[in-house]
Amino acid sequence: MDVAEILKSLTDAFPEAISEATAESEIRAGSYVDKDKVKKVCQYLKDSLQFDHLCSVCGVDYIKRNELEVVYHIASYNHPVVLTLKARLPRENPEIESIVSVYWNANWYERETYELFGILFENHPNLKSLVLPEDMLGEWPLRKDYEGFPNKTARNLV
Amino acid sequence: MGEVKEKKASKPDETSEEGIPGVITTTTSAISDLLKKTKVQDLINWGRKNSLWFMTQPMGCCGVEMIAMGCAHYDTDRFGIIPRNSPRQADVMLISGYVTKKYLPALKRLWEQMPSPKWVMCIGDCSISGGPFYESYSTVQNIDEIFPIDVFVPGCPPRPEAMLQGFVELQEKIKAKKDLGSEY
Repeated sequence: MDVAEILKSLTDAFPEAISEATAESEIRAGSYVDKDKVKKVCQYLKDSLQFDHLCSVCGVDYIKRNELEVVYHIASYNHPVVLTLKARLPRENPEIESIVSVYWNANWYERETYELFGILFENHPNLKSLVLPEDMLGEWPLRKDYEGFPNKTARNLV
Repeated sequence: MGEVKEKKASKPDETSEEGIPGVITTTTSAISDLLKKTKVQDLINWGRKNSLWFMTQPMGCCGVEMIAMGCAHYDTDRFGIIPRNSPRQADVMLISGYVTKKYLPALKRLWEQMPSPKWVMCIGDCSISGGPFYESYSTVQNIDEIFPIDVFVPGCPPRPEAMLQGFVELQEKIKAKKDLGSEY
């Protein structure tokens, strides 16, 4: 399977959910996905297109567009293509369906994306903070408008 | 013997001459307060400075240097500096890495578990100022406002010799009664 074949199969299966499907090179493909269909798309990728390895889930804050993006990198053990799947979310109420039931290792990725960006993953089995302390929930430190950085310089060096 | 309390007799306003002769009661703090004013404290400090057992509590990459310092190559045992695994057996706590907001309660708890007299040293740039993480959302700044830190050892990470020199400086402070760990 090569990039064009994969993208054609994906666009034919979900003509409304998949948009801006591009092949960046022979081994990299990218596309935007509708946020309500992300679980079905992932299930199709895993079952039909041999994308059986989820590399990462992360978030990006586009404050000028008033949008958050969730980025999934999905790869395969059988062909060399890595697919970058992105989902746009509104900044006020970012919610997206969890893909833990498709890729089990998305569990901790989604927890970290939740604690750093405040993106709620619906139907996640255990959505709580992963690394940060519990009382930092609600600050969302990786958003661009985060203000809570410490401002005391070290007195010993000044 | 100013701090030593006489045994309370039936009348609380009795002076010391009127108590039972030869019988006095006292407390350990009164004894230690008395000893601080005498030459005996020099002897006690000589013992303390030659048995600075530190807690093996590595927090970052400086912790690796700390373990290397405690091992046979640098041989801190010749100064009486021995790594201990339990905070209840340790005299010195080495803060050897950046302190996050999540780790600070655990570090305070370790510090409270150590018996007094106890000292604390800052190892490396991370614990002194935050290092590369000084402006992170999860880093605790100005660790010296939280713990009474005697010696700062800069470096990223400091070599084991530098830590050893930090221990020697701490010994000098204890010998000169200038350390923050014990009250004089």
